[in-house]
Amino acid sequence: MNDSSERRTGRFTGLAAALAGVAVLAACSTTTSGGDTEGAGGGGTGELTAAGTYPIESLDPHGAQGASTGTQFAGQALFSRLVKPAPDGTLTGDLAESWEPNADVTAWTFTLRDGVTFSDGSPLTAEDVVASFDRMMELNGPNAGNFPEATMTAASDTEVVLTTPAPDASIPGKLVLFYVLPSGIAADDTAFFNDPVGSGPFTVDGFTPGETLELAPNPDYFGDTPATDRVVVRNIPELSARLTALRTGEVDVVWGIPDDQLGVLEGDDGLTVETVPSTAEFTMWFNSSVPALEDAAVRRALWQAVDFATIIEQLYPETGEPATAPVTPVVLGHAPQEPVAFDPEAARAALEDAGFDFSQTLRLQFANAEFRPFLQAVASDLEEIGVRVEPLEKEQAVFTEDLLALNWDINFQQLATPTFDAASNLGRLYTCDAARTGYCNPELDDLLARAGGSADEAERTDLYGQASEIIWNDAVGMYPMTVSIAYAWNADLEGFTPDPSGLPDFSTVTDGGS
Amino acid sequence: MTAPPTGHEAAAAAVSPAVTGPGTSTARRPGRRAATLIPCAVVALYVLVALIGPLLVPYDPVHTPLEDRLLSPGSTTADGSTAWLGTDGLGRDVLGQIVHGARTSVLIGAATVGLSCLVGVTLGAIAGYARGWVDAVLARVFDVLLAFPAILLAIVIAGAFDRSLLLVVVALSATGWIAFARVTRGVALSLRERPWVDAARVMGVPGREILRRHVLPFTVGPVVAMATLEFALVVLAEAGLSFLGIGLPADTPSWGQTIASGKEYLETAWWISTLPGVALSLLIISVGILGDQLTARHRHGRRSA
Repeated sequence: MNDSSERRTGRFTGLAAALAGVAVLAACSTTTSGGDTEGAGGGGTGELTAAGTYPIESLDPHGAQGASTGTQFAGQALFSRLVKPAPDGTLTGDLAESWEPNADVTAWTFTLRDGVTFSDGSPLTAEDVVASFDRMMELNGPNAGNFPEATMTAASDTEVVLTTPAPDASIPGKLVLFYVLPSGIAADDTAFFNDPVGSGPFTVDGFTPGETLELAPNPDYFGDTPATDRVVVRNIPELSARLTALRTGEVDVVWGIPDDQLGVLEGDDGLTVETVPSTAEFTMWFNSSVPALEDAAVRRALWQAVDFATIIEQLYPETGEPATAPVTPVVLGHAPQEPVAFDPEAARAALEDAGFDFSQTLRLQFANAEFRPFLQAVASDLEEIGVRVEPLEKEQAVFTEDLLALNWDINFQQLATPTFDAASNLGRLYTCDAARTGYCNPELDDLLARAGGSADEAERTDLYGQASEIIWNDAVGMYPMTVSIAYAWNADLEGFTPDPSGLPDFSTVTDGGS
Repeated sequence: MTAPPTGHEAAAAAVSPAVTGPGTSTARRPGRRAATLIPCAVVALYVLVALIGPLLVPYDPVHTPLEDRLLSPGSTTADGSTAWLGTDGLGRDVLGQIVHGARTSVLIGAATVGLSCLVGVTLGAIAGYARGWVDAVLARVFDVLLAFPAILLAIVIAGAFDRSLLLVVVALSATGWIAFARVTRGVALSLRERPWVDAARVMGVPGREILRRHVLPFTVGPVVAMATLEFALVVLAEAGLSFLGIGLPADTPSWGQTIASGKEYLETAWWISTLPGVALSLLIISVGILGDQLTARHRHGRRSA
């Protein structure tokens, strides 16, 4: 007995010591971060800390991670591309001063800007652009898929020509995903990305994959050198921790904030909150290759059965708008369609007419926990008319594998069109060859091919409009909502512009704020 | 959370000086006796809620009345009923989630402890009574498994397969049985040297019969005390798994899931996470105290015998 009570006392002492230790540690960390903040504030243009929505796993813009939001963000800070999107979605030149197609739109000539150098001082020439393009195609990452069988050649030191086997009018738009590295970087050269040499507004000051990316201004940048001394991009996965960090001043910019948290932030005088319409749209494909969803009438009825207007109004009052087409209004090729009205009785009647089997359970797959409430609400509405839907939250890699294998009945994605051109959304995903939705319609294929081959913007918009009408009326998927991205930043920050792709550009910030 | 390695120790060490002599002191002071009944009453209440609560408080996890979302406790919902404990981010009743979650927790707790107990006591008794190489092998197996962090092993098992209630029970039992096995082995080791076991052996009673009639009955005391403490740990571990989203299927109500779904609303709608959290803490504290009391009674009983 004595023995055990002694042991207890010992344990309590240990616990008390541990608690004291934690208290000391906590005190330390508070002091340190406080000191940092003050130091930066005193400097005027100090350090800017941002916490985005997704982690940066790799800096290689040509690699397997090339299409991920984190790598795209790093790419635009560190490297230059031929063309880049302006905040309104139109294309402006980055490395390219001008570009034009040949008569049948199978070759695009880009004229490069003069006097661009890399951060190590060497000049950027057409040879570097061609080598980078070849590297991207060799690695065959997700971005290479936009340029099937395309080749790039250097016409002179300041001109490159991109040739495609079929007419492709969307080449400039697709090239916003293509970043230029110095020539001579082998495809598997990972050491280069420990301290990459680029021609973007920033250089790397430190990088821990999935955790932090520290950026310093690039004095050799051909545009205006960023005014901030340092930009730190941190990954804070937990939403509440991210918002707390914003409010304590630990980070200066946060984006991708859910609606329910916006109210609290808007009440804070020290913060500016703004939402920008993005290219992302909630896209819920039906798997038209499973017998239950083969019939367009069934797919339309399911869409009709969900009260998306109420769900959006309740869950996304500020960042959601009912969608009017398969692509968002900021994308080239957007053509408004007739809204699908909520009518559960008609939906049930249509399903009964089509002989729908109400005893089956439809598998609704998705990847991110943030969409769970939305999908539970959709499942609830479908349950009302007797259709059972099981929302399946999958880990990203499993989700992608199942997505490509069509191992789902309804697939949910927040689908963005980073090129601001319907070609990389409708043109890439809805053809019979793409086999992404199980839907195949030769008429649609023909429209998409013609739209892709036309250089005339009005004609392309018209053709994509016709394609959208088929996709919409055949209910290849449900297109409930276009997404705005909510940004909140420290009100002291000057010159910050929220970006519609969720890839904010910190080179324009003139005052680091706190 | 106490891992099974300390679980065995906890059963022994939990006898605090304050509860050392319940037999003598409680007899003198009736007030204290009533106080010792509180944890028992609380646990009984939870079991009652788990058994009949779901019949009285309806809850449908699939149905999401969005117009009622984030109502504070006591508000009136759109269909005229009262949300006594508020609603969550999808308009579902928090009281309903707590009541149905209690059933899930008690069910998983009981099933896991039952399974662990069956496996642990059987193997422990065999190891302790048989001695020799059987004991050597089994005891090493216990030791090896003890080296695994219990919650980590549970996460690995629960994460590797499709979510289901049975899977959670198996994942939590995977290490839960070791504590029972060690306690039972200890008791069996000392019992096999007692005169009545010798006598039975001399009279030619078969080993299995000796184990069943002359050894196992004496392990009941410590095993029951152990089971109570283990129950609290299992309920906590299940809530932890559900909180991480790898435990139960999404349509099975669970305290851990409710707490997780409310963690983004802590500032604006505290009731979603707080109330199931309070329900969970109260159950675990009560079960813990009850376990201490049982341990004390068992020790006291053995000493006076």
